[in-house]
Amino acid sequence: MINDMCDSACAPEGPTGMDLWQLLLTLAVAGSGSAFSGSEDSSEKPKFTKCRSPELETFSCHWTDGVRHGLKNAGSVQLFYIRRSTQEWTQEWKECPDYVSAGENSCYFNSSYTSIWIPYCIKLTSNGGTVDQKCFSVEEIVQPDPPIGLNWTLLNISLTGIHADIQVRWEPPPNADVQKGWIVLEYELQYKEVNESQWKMMDPVLSTSVPVYSLRLDKEYEVRVRSRQRNSEKYGEFSEVLYVTLPQMSPFACEEDFQFPWFLIIIFGIFGLTMILFLFIFSKQQRIKMLILPPVPVPKIKGIDPDLLKEGKLEEVNTILAIHDNYKPEFYNDDSWVEFIELDIDDLDEKTEGSDTDRLLSNDHEKSLNILGAKDDDSGRTSCYEPDILETDFNASDVCDGTSEVAQPQRLKGEVDLLCLDQKNQNNSPSTDTTPTTQQPSIILAKENKPRPLLISGTESTQQAAHTQLSNPSSLANIDFYAQVSDITPAGSVVLSPGQKNKAGISPCDMPPEVASLCQANFIMDNAYFCEADAKKCITVAPHVEAESRVEPSFNQEDIYITTESLTTTAGQSGTTERAVSSEMPVPDYTSIHIIQSPRGLVLNATALPLPDKEFLSSCGYVSTDQLNKIMP
Amino acid sequence: LWRRVFLESIATMDNKGWSLKAGSLLLLLLLVSDLLLCQSVASLPICPSGAVNCQVSLRDLFDRAVILSHYIHNLSSEMFNEFDKRYAQGRGFITKAINSCHTSSLSTPEDKEQAQQIHHEDLLNLILRVLRSWNDPLYHLVTEVRGMQEAPDAILSRAIEIEEQNRRLLEGMEKIVGQVHPGIRENEVYSVWSGLPSLQMADEDTRLFAFYNLLHCLRRDSHKIDNYLKLLKCRIVYDSNC
Repeated sequence: MINDMCDSACAPEGPTGMDLWQLLLTLAVAGSGSAFSGSEDSSEKPKFTKCRSPELETFSCHWTDGVRHGLKNAGSVQLFYIRRSTQEWTQEWKECPDYVSAGENSCYFNSSYTSIWIPYCIKLTSNGGTVDQKCFSVEEIVQPDPPIGLNWTLLNISLTGIHADIQVRWEPPPNADVQKGWIVLEYELQYKEVNESQWKMMDPVLSTSVPVYSLRLDKEYEVRVRSRQRNSEKYGEFSEVLYVTLPQMSPFACEEDFQFPWFLIIIFGIFGLTMILFLFIFSKQQRIKMLILPPVPVPKIKGIDPDLLKEGKLEEVNTILAIHDNYKPEFYNDDSWVEFIELDIDDLDEKTEGSDTDRLLSNDHEKSLNILGAKDDDSGRTSCYEPDILETDFNASDVCDGTSEVAQPQRLKGEVDLLCLDQKNQNNSPSTDTTPTTQQPSIILAKENKPRPLLISGTESTQQAAHTQLSNPSSLANIDFYAQVSDITPAGSVVLSPGQKNKAGISPCDMPPEVASLCQANFIMDNAYFCEADAKKCITVAPHVEAESRVEPSFNQEDIYITTESLTTTAGQSGTTERAVSSEMPVPDYTSIHIIQSPRGLVLNATALPLPDKEFLSSCGYVSTDQLNKIMP
Repeated sequence: LWRRVFLESIATMDNKGWSLKAGSLLLLLLLVSDLLLCQSVASLPICPSGAVNCQVSLRDLFDRAVILSHYIHNLSSEMFNEFDKRYAQGRGFITKAINSCHTSSLSTPEDKEQAQQIHHEDLLNLILRVLRSWNDPLYHLVTEVRGMQEAPDAILSRAIEIEEQNRRLLEGMEKIVGQVHPGIRENEVYSVWSGLPSLQMADEDTRLFAFYNLLHCLRRDSHKIDNYLKLLKCRIVYDSNC
């Protein structure tokens, strides 16, 4: 009370001066004096201070001994109690059973004297006179003892190393029978820093442990707990203070350790690369796509565009095939060619090659079909002879065409001979060995000849009719895969153009047998190599032949087909130029491609390479791959 | 057990007509047969319909009952404090308010030893009796508080809430009793409250004192029931190991 008085009055109001200060001082003295007097007054009589039951089984009452000065009423204070049983206050006041157990000026009622939910009245007497009286029920005065056994454990420390969480545990007061459920307690925890004055309160909890969060590591804390009966308002006494000293962290631990985020960098790097990769893969940029994912090259023949084949421009394809080196392996040995020949048994009398050739030529159209139509006994067949790929397998046909085209010069010879057979009855010995070869190409190229037969047959029907052996008018039609010489350069090279048919109705037989026939055959070329030797021969002869059509190749490279008129008109044009070609020059049996002007034109070199073998000279036409390899450096 | 029930029922129906007795006997027979067929043979006193299931549901029932009783005690304490603050200051009611409550006639255990010694079935029945005894007073309390001049809303709302919760607690207790102690259905014993005239007295002091007394008794009895239930819960559900 004194403090309260002082708090309100002692605070200096302001700098008003000494008089005010004196007034306040006197007031303070007076206040304290009255306070003293008040306390003395109140202390004269014994008074109940508090009655308390800690566990709802016993209770005790305390009073103040009013004796302040002297021994006025020493020891004569008595406490009497009465409790109401049933409905009446029949009992007498009884004296306190125990003045000692609860301390001085107290009365202790043990469990036998305690009844819950029963009203009690106590009175304090001093020298016989009632000094104080109080009535209550025991359940109203419950104030539990403080909890015991406080301890704390560290829960965790924050990453920054500044804060920590702890768990505080305690035991309920030992005299409270919580286990049997006779009394239910709730607890309140308070904590503060050591140098603070204000306690922080937490909400009441029913359990005997509670976490305390966010304590600073560099501070010391004090913790205390108190309990109360649930539903009551009054708390018991506080427990002993628990000192919490948190583990000190090193001062450098506060600095956040900056570790280079390798992990993040790696993750993001991979992610970015993946994104870029996907962008490239799925982007429409073909170029980049080609760069990253180059297209797998499909197996195809070098120099041949599959689209070209699909378009059906066989002339161009043939040209490409003719110049291609890939057809070296396709150069069959003579043996294979020979093997493939199918003899007609009916014509056994004609065992000559001529007859054979005639037979071949006559039956060429049919046989070619047959052969290509899977009539295959046992000869060395290649993929060329697959029956089902007559039209579609351009590769095979091209291969065949290539081989056949290469062999055409040989066939040219042979066919020319054939054409002239009837008239000349010559021995085709020079071309004997060629016939087998020539036969082959004719057979092979039967397919190719198919679109052309009518064209040529129409023009050459007159000549063909003259040939008895050439019963099949289309036989001549089969000889339409020679390359058309479109130009002859002054240097002596022959310019070939593909697909140029010579519809000249000039019978090769009108010409001198060897040279003329050769030259004549030139006109019936189509998509085939032209042997320069033959060309040169024709050229030399050309000037001599005047009535006939010249070997003059048409300069019209645009024209696919050379009409008779065009040939005749251009007959004498290149005569002089061709004269430059000396016949003394060794005529090579093959030509090498010098320039590829266009899909239509080729310039062949008249390379006079030494031919090691006589075999080479056997035919002025194709050479096998290995033969060519021997020749060419 | 069943024989006792059967005999009791027969004994009570001596005064009624023979047809009625026969009908009730028949009903009893049917009931007994049903019970025998449906229930398991081994019927434990605590959980007749199976140990595991019963224990779980009993725990829930007890939890709910304890929550309710705790709530009622809280409300009654608040209500009493409110009333004391508002009306009873300086009137010396405290010294006079040792009037008996109407439920004092029920012999309830008064300390821990007595409460531990009493059998839980009897204790449950006692709780039921106390709860039933308060049905009537609570109803009238609400009515009278409403009729008070300047009826304080705090007291009125709490009175209404206590009345409703008391009814719910009674239902819950009856369910518990049905599980813990099935079969026996005692007559509804309760203390009659006769304090209504004093609540309606014209004299304000008398009336206020009557209210004070009633609220004081309510607080005491709600605490008693709350304590009993917590004791029983620890004893029955947790095997005296809360």
